[in-house]
Amino acid sequence: MNESLIRVLMASLGSLGFALLCHVEGKKLLAATFGGALNCGFYLLMIRAYDSAVLACFFTALLISTLAEVMARVWKTPVITLLVPMLVSLIPGGNLYYSMLYLMQNNMEKFRVYSEQLVWQAGAIAFGILLVTSLTQTILKLLKYQKKKQ
Amino acid sequence: MKMELFQQKQTVKLILDAGELLLSAGAEINRVEDTIKRMTKAYGFMKTDVFCITSNIIVTVQTKENEIFTQTRRVAERTVNMCMIENVNALSRSLETSLISLSELEKIIMGISEKRKTGFAKTILAYLLIAGALSVFFGGSFRDGFAAMICSMVLYAAGKMGESLKIQPMVRLLLSTIVMCMSAFFMVSIGIGQSTHAIIIGNIMLLIPGVYLVSALRDMIAGDIMSGLLGICDALLRSASIAMGCALVIMWMGGAA
Repeated sequence: MNESLIRVLMASLGSLGFALLCHVEGKKLLAATFGGALNCGFYLLMIRAYDSAVLACFFTALLISTLAEVMARVWKTPVITLLVPMLVSLIPGGNLYYSMLYLMQNNMEKFRVYSEQLVWQAGAIAFGILLVTSLTQTILKLLKYQKKKQ
Repeated sequence: MKMELFQQKQTVKLILDAGELLLSAGAEINRVEDTIKRMTKAYGFMKTDVFCITSNIIVTVQTKENEIFTQTRRVAERTVNMCMIENVNALSRSLETSLISLSELEKIIMGISEKRKTGFAKTILAYLLIAGALSVFFGGSFRDGFAAMICSMVLYAAGKMGESLKIQPMVRLLLSTIVMCMSAFFMVSIGIGQSTHAIIIGNIMLLIPGVYLVSALRDMIAGDIMSGLLGICDALLRSASIAMGCALVIMWMGGAA
């Protein structure tokens, strides 16, 4: 439990840092920090529930992109302003590094495990983002259509 | 009559300036195209055709006098600056309700682009936060986090040096990764850090092109397949040069058993 707490805390700090790096300003910094904590917390919950990093990545990406799309509309700001800083701790940087390391060490078995994880997790995150983006666009178009009809 | 055309060309030039700011700040392609279209419409052009990819903007406009002209703009390097995207976006939306004169528009655009330079302290803080926090996140101890912070400063200095020497972005990335990995090994050998892996991963997260990848994916969904492909290709090349930089140092330091 203690370890999870540290991870959530560090993820939120990392998100804050990434938001700063992308020149995000004002209340969106705070939102990115909380979003980062939520991202990591939800991921840890999902991984406990489903016991699969890929599924956990997918569901977390779904949640965070929905949050980012909604908040971006409320605050009238580009979606990536919020989405990328929040998602940062989900990026499988560790897998990228270890697959490279094991490839170097000629440890093909471990390389296969890590690179497979890398591809699947990156794919799951991308799929989550794409799904939410296209759904939001469809919903917005529908709302516009409804307004025109009235 | 001739003056009129000159003025119109200047207007399109200023609008392209705004578009260039957006594109170089890492905005999605359809945002750049939409903004340019919105601005030309506000300034009374009849028809506008914009084609934009990650490194180039082409605009053809048709004036009320049926005059047609085209301007292009090459955008060399993209960074990420959300604040700038927001400001240009707000500017273009404000034009829809109240039109401002050309000299005023130029002043505002200059003001937005000058903001790019500021924020040295913020960047340093961001580097420290990301490297420190994420190296602990990826399984390092707090001592590793501290070592990663020092390495991130080395990384920042290397990046800046490469920038002032005008080294190509990919090569610059490779070189700064090499310097960063070497300093990580150094930190462990003098006893500040414990796990080189955690320190390096924390710093890799600073370099990983997450924004490019996400905005490339969103470009593809919005229908800009070409820009999406360019963005993904760019992100993959960047990842490859990061991995190559780490691999070189690990091989050299004997990490590859």
